[in-house]
Amino acid sequence: MSCPNTPEIIADHCDPSSTPEFLQRHKTHLEHCLQCQQELLLLKSVPPGLLRWQPQPVPDWDRSAMVKTASIRKSLPNRARTLPLIAQWLPVAASLVLTVFVFSQARLDVTEQGWSLSFGTSSTLNAQQLNDYLTAYSQSQQEETRAWVQTALKIHGESTADSVYQWMTYMEQQRELDVQRMEAGFEQLLDRDFQTVDSVRQLASYVMYQVAP
Amino acid sequence: MDQTDNQLIDAALAGSVSAWETLVRRHEHRVYNLGLRLLHNPDDALDLVQDVFLGVYRNLYRFRGESQFSTWLFRIVHNKAVDLIRRRQSGPEIENWFEEDAAEPVNDLPGPLDACLETEMNERISQFLSRLPPAQRLIVELKVFQSLTFEEIAPLQDIPVNTAKTRFYTALKNLKSMMEAHA
Repeated sequence: MSCPNTPEIIADHCDPSSTPEFLQRHKTHLEHCLQCQQELLLLKSVPPGLLRWQPQPVPDWDRSAMVKTASIRKSLPNRARTLPLIAQWLPVAASLVLTVFVFSQARLDVTEQGWSLSFGTSSTLNAQQLNDYLTAYSQSQQEETRAWVQTALKIHGESTADSVYQWMTYMEQQRELDVQRMEAGFEQLLDRDFQTVDSVRQLASYVMYQVAP
Repeated sequence: MDQTDNQLIDAALAGSVSAWETLVRRHEHRVYNLGLRLLHNPDDALDLVQDVFLGVYRNLYRFRGESQFSTWLFRIVHNKAVDLIRRRQSGPEIENWFEEDAAEPVNDLPGPLDACLETEMNERISQFLSRLPPAQRLIVELKVFQSLTFEEIAPLQDIPVNTAKTRFYTALKNLKSMMEAHA
């Protein structure tokens, strides 16, 4: 049966740095353990045998080759210390200012349709403004339609098939003109306060609803 | 008066080529002879020296002088040697030792150990070591030739101190068997 203390005892006795006082702690065990005694006697001669190695001289080689090829780094802290204080903190300060600017311009709008985040002015239409604009637009449409009908009746008073066809052509022209005006109206809206696609969609759906018979 | 390692390192970091060369000459023989013992080949040993000092040069700025330069150096040497041994894998595994002995006796060197010529002595020691598994070979090298303590060796090999002692004991037993077989 092998002794569990053997490896440690051998290692400590083969270690030149082990002092006699340190080795005393194994003395009692060694006096009573035959296996450790035998192993110590057997293996103690191995390290001195290995130390008969005769050191060999190093062949000549280019010791400064790496100085020419590899880049040596100076210590990082020293290099950091050489930078002026303002240069060390400038990127941090710039980031801070940019962050404050961005968050000061951010705006969160919550509506019935959900919420939206925008920068600068509000992304959603003011409901009152939209209603005013559409009411005005609807009134002008009605007045224009009334004027078209009166003009058509003056020009094509007789109810012939030819006059009805001419009247339909006239109405078609007026409708195209109306569409062009609406497009101009959309552009005007976009150029003014209506900046988000969502708002334009709301307007478009409202107008489509009004135009569709 | 000789400059200390730390003074040479400071001068090398400041760009002194001669300081760097002095530092290399002071420590290269230990690395070269370690390479000879572990790699069993002068060309490989010189490759190890060059690899080690290139690594040292590139990382010189990391050395803070908290430990001895030689301790720091041998941490690099150990890692490079492990890499080289793994790449070369020149020695047979420990499980095959005795089968190898039976099939191909290496007792071709004349006389007892102490009667051999210098080169033959080195050849024999190198041969013994090369027949150890890499982990045992390294621990014998660090303990016997570099005089590191087990407390210094254990973290290098990433093992507990007791495991280092057991590994060293096993290596000594294996070496003793080889020495007796070839006496």
